[in-house]
Amino acid sequence: MLTFDGRGNGKSDRPQDPERYAETEFAADALAVMDATRTDRAWLVSLSAGAQRALVLGADHPERVLGSVFVGPAVPLATSTPRARARAGFDDRRDTYDGWEKFNRHYWIDHYEDFLWFFFSHVFTEPHSTKQIEDSVGWALETDPETLIATSLGPGPSDEQSVRELAARNRCPVAVIHGTDDEIRSYKSGAALAELLHGELATLKGSGHNPFARDPVKSNLLLRDLIQPRRAPTSAWTRAKARPKRALYISSPIGLGHAQRDVAIARELRKLHPDLQIDWLAQDPVTRVLEAEGERIHPASAELANESSHIESESAEHDLHCFQAWRRMDEILVNNFMVFYDVVEAEPYDLWIGDEAWELDYFLHENPELKRAAYCWLTDFVGWLPMPDGGEREAFLTADYNAEMIEHIARFPRLRDRALFVGNPDDIVPDRLGPDLPPIREWTEQHFDFVGYVTGFDPALLADREALRAELGYAPDEQVCIVTVGGSGVGGDLLRRVIASFEQAKQLVPALRMIAVAGPRIDPSSLPTTPGLEVRPYVHNLYRHLAACDLAVVQGGLTTAMELTANRRPFMYFPLKHHFEQNFHVRHRLERYGAGRRMDFDSATPSTIAQAIAEEIGSEVDYAPVETDGARRAAERIAEML
Amino acid sequence: MIRARYPDETGYIERDGVRVFWERYGDGEPTILLLPTWTILHSRCWKAQIAYFARHCRVLTFDPRGNGRSDRPREPSAYAAAEFAADALAVMDATNTARAVLVSLSRGAQSALLVAAENPERVIGAAFVGPFFPASPLGGLRWRIMAHPWMRRALFVPPPVAAGWLKFNAIHWRDDYRDFVEWFIRRACNTPHSTKQIEDAVGWGLETDADTLIASAIGDFAAPATRRAQMALARRVRCPVLVISSPNDKITSHADAKALAHATGGRLVTVLDGGHNPHARKPVQVNLALRAFVKPAFTADSRGLRGARTVA
Repeated sequence: MLTFDGRGNGKSDRPQDPERYAETEFAADALAVMDATRTDRAWLVSLSAGAQRALVLGADHPERVLGSVFVGPAVPLATSTPRARARAGFDDRRDTYDGWEKFNRHYWIDHYEDFLWFFFSHVFTEPHSTKQIEDSVGWALETDPETLIATSLGPGPSDEQSVRELAARNRCPVAVIHGTDDEIRSYKSGAALAELLHGELATLKGSGHNPFARDPVKSNLLLRDLIQPRRAPTSAWTRAKARPKRALYISSPIGLGHAQRDVAIARELRKLHPDLQIDWLAQDPVTRVLEAEGERIHPASAELANESSHIESESAEHDLHCFQAWRRMDEILVNNFMVFYDVVEAEPYDLWIGDEAWELDYFLHENPELKRAAYCWLTDFVGWLPMPDGGEREAFLTADYNAEMIEHIARFPRLRDRALFVGNPDDIVPDRLGPDLPPIREWTEQHFDFVGYVTGFDPALLADREALRAELGYAPDEQVCIVTVGGSGVGGDLLRRVIASFEQAKQLVPALRMIAVAGPRIDPSSLPTTPGLEVRPYVHNLYRHLAACDLAVVQGGLTTAMELTANRRPFMYFPLKHHFEQNFHVRHRLERYGAGRRMDFDSATPSTIAQAIAEEIGSEVDYAPVETDGARRAAERIAEML
Repeated sequence: MIRARYPDETGYIERDGVRVFWERYGDGEPTILLLPTWTILHSRCWKAQIAYFARHCRVLTFDPRGNGRSDRPREPSAYAAAEFAADALAVMDATNTARAVLVSLSRGAQSALLVAAENPERVIGAAFVGPFFPASPLGGLRWRIMAHPWMRRALFVPPPVAAGWLKFNAIHWRDDYRDFVEWFIRRACNTPHSTKQIEDAVGWGLETDADTLIASAIGDFAAPATRRAQMALARRVRCPVLVISSPNDKITSHADAKALAHATGGRLVTVLDGGHNPHARKPVQVNLALRAFVKPAFTADSRGLRGARTVA
């Protein structure tokens, strides 16, 4: 890094002859400094008027210039500012000097310091720039008005034609950094210079004439990236104070389970921070819920590789080896993290919320330096668990993944600013994270806050079942049975088997009305038709129908089962085979609530299903109550970070 | 299982009766050619890179002779580094690719060096991950010995005991191919919690067989393995170079990677705890390093490689 004091200030001499301040003289000084320091070639960084000598150097001595970075360049191009026009009246004597009339040799002689305060208050247009203005006035007072007048009269490329001529001879890499709020030299003139030089233009939104003093960190990083690029230079930047509050919400896209609760948490979060803008990085089927709720889906979501498709590709007949399917999703997780990182690198967010956003949590712990916002992690289970038929290998693998998680959290406790468990300590299974690892409950209690269950709705608003049934079109004397398999396409086999039981069930329960909900990712026309059976595609706010029904037949997914538990409706659930979350975590939780009748898919025939429907439909339940304030409690914990 | 991204175009090139399968993803700028490594793996080894770079650039991959969907010739001469280099150029020709950034892994370094040295007009830059470049005095010694043409015969001498590096032996491969693949891959993926990477790579290794791997190993031995020859080859490379390596690489030494960076005037990026497969085990870190090298600004008007526009 080389610097030198320009003629007329600092530790350099103060000649009084304007000819000594010609731009060619400044350029010759720069070469002499390079010679004295045995510098063959250098990057030039110039501020404001320095642009002119940098252009001279680049044109006359290209062999000495690696590249040139212009900050708020003072060149007579494009639109001019009041400061640029003030030069015309520089020699005029006036009675009074207002505004830019102070840019006048006579005024300087009499009121030098006043001019300086005026001038630098227009250099630093950003609020809270007092220190930068004081510094600048102080440096300016190290010279005197006579010297400053001489510098202003020094010959240089003062018209557009001469700048164009110089620019045409500049062949080195070039970048222009210019603030959009520059009142000394217009942003458009900087843009015009960048275009003339075929260089890059870095726009600093809301910045004035000297971003290097006012926003030094950003400027330094920008300069670093321009000269020695390691990452993408930011082409536009908004000053921190001018930014709206923004959160990026990443909702686990496997099925619909997380979408409803995440929307509820977002709603509560907005109550606490009405000015918060929430963007969603999400994919089908979560986007269906978000679109229906009018949420803002980030356009980069289109770049995400689809996790539900992968999970569906991994499933067999009512069988999903959830842990292995997730493991085999590693390629998709990398891709989706890179999409995420492109987004957060390009746009400032105050907060990232990841509801079982595995790619985010994992790669953040692998790359902790990439964290650039407050981060909240949400989950409703902790601990990969082996299925019994997976043998030693699966027990080893799940323990290994758990161990890595434990190491991640122990090594980088700062990464998760909040870790929220959607549920209560009693919901946690009694297992250990692995043979030599701590019990899940103990570890989770140490590293998570518990916000209770988040239903995503208020059961009190659904308490009047008669009115709800009337609204949804269910007659009082009908026995309504809803069959639903969640949001992924994995549940087609269960739907078909329950549909096959319809005729027998109808004989046992004459008032039966069965509605099969295909969901967002199963084509309703792919299901068999039976007279009297209704098949519906995706139903928005399905929980309202579940609150109104007399019985539900579902998969073992947590969300649907808990919606039924909260609404105190009888239900039967068929955990997916090899799905450790449904077989262990969810089952444990439902048993704690005393909710649901667990069914085994393999042994269930149409007649046993029909029999079970007849036994359960319309029955009274005795579930433990589900809290209704989970979303608010989660939002409160998250809101603390904004 | 589904991939994060599927190719937009696939095809075969054929040279001397050997068909080689290639894939193209995306159509941005510039083109990144992900070269095959030793025949024990095939092009899926780049699965953590393909989708990301396909969104911003144009990505080409091809399966090495002897694995994946490419043919499995049995003549060792079909596996010379020069043949892989010629395959790379043929794939570029078949896809109308004038110039590309070459990204290579391990053995792939040899064909990358050949292409960059002999066809500089086709190469924008070259990035090497865990390069096979046995040129450091001590770090490269084992490979210089093992890859010496004189050692071809030793490959067929039954090992006194099939343990450690003695497993690198044709007789043992024919006896227990899987044992060798598992040993080798575990050594390559030595970072803790690499079970998935190990399973992937063992699976790819089992897609070929012992005799093909033997042919490929002997063919590779034709590469110039002396320090002088390696350094001379590397010094002919004039394009911008990036070398990515881990100090705990137990297949090719970190010192060799440093030697390659030094010989080519390239930049060395050290990935801690990445083993021999940092691109698979630390994919984000490696992707970002590659991105900074290939395309500092992922924007439509990016001028591409920074090195290329620095004034000469």
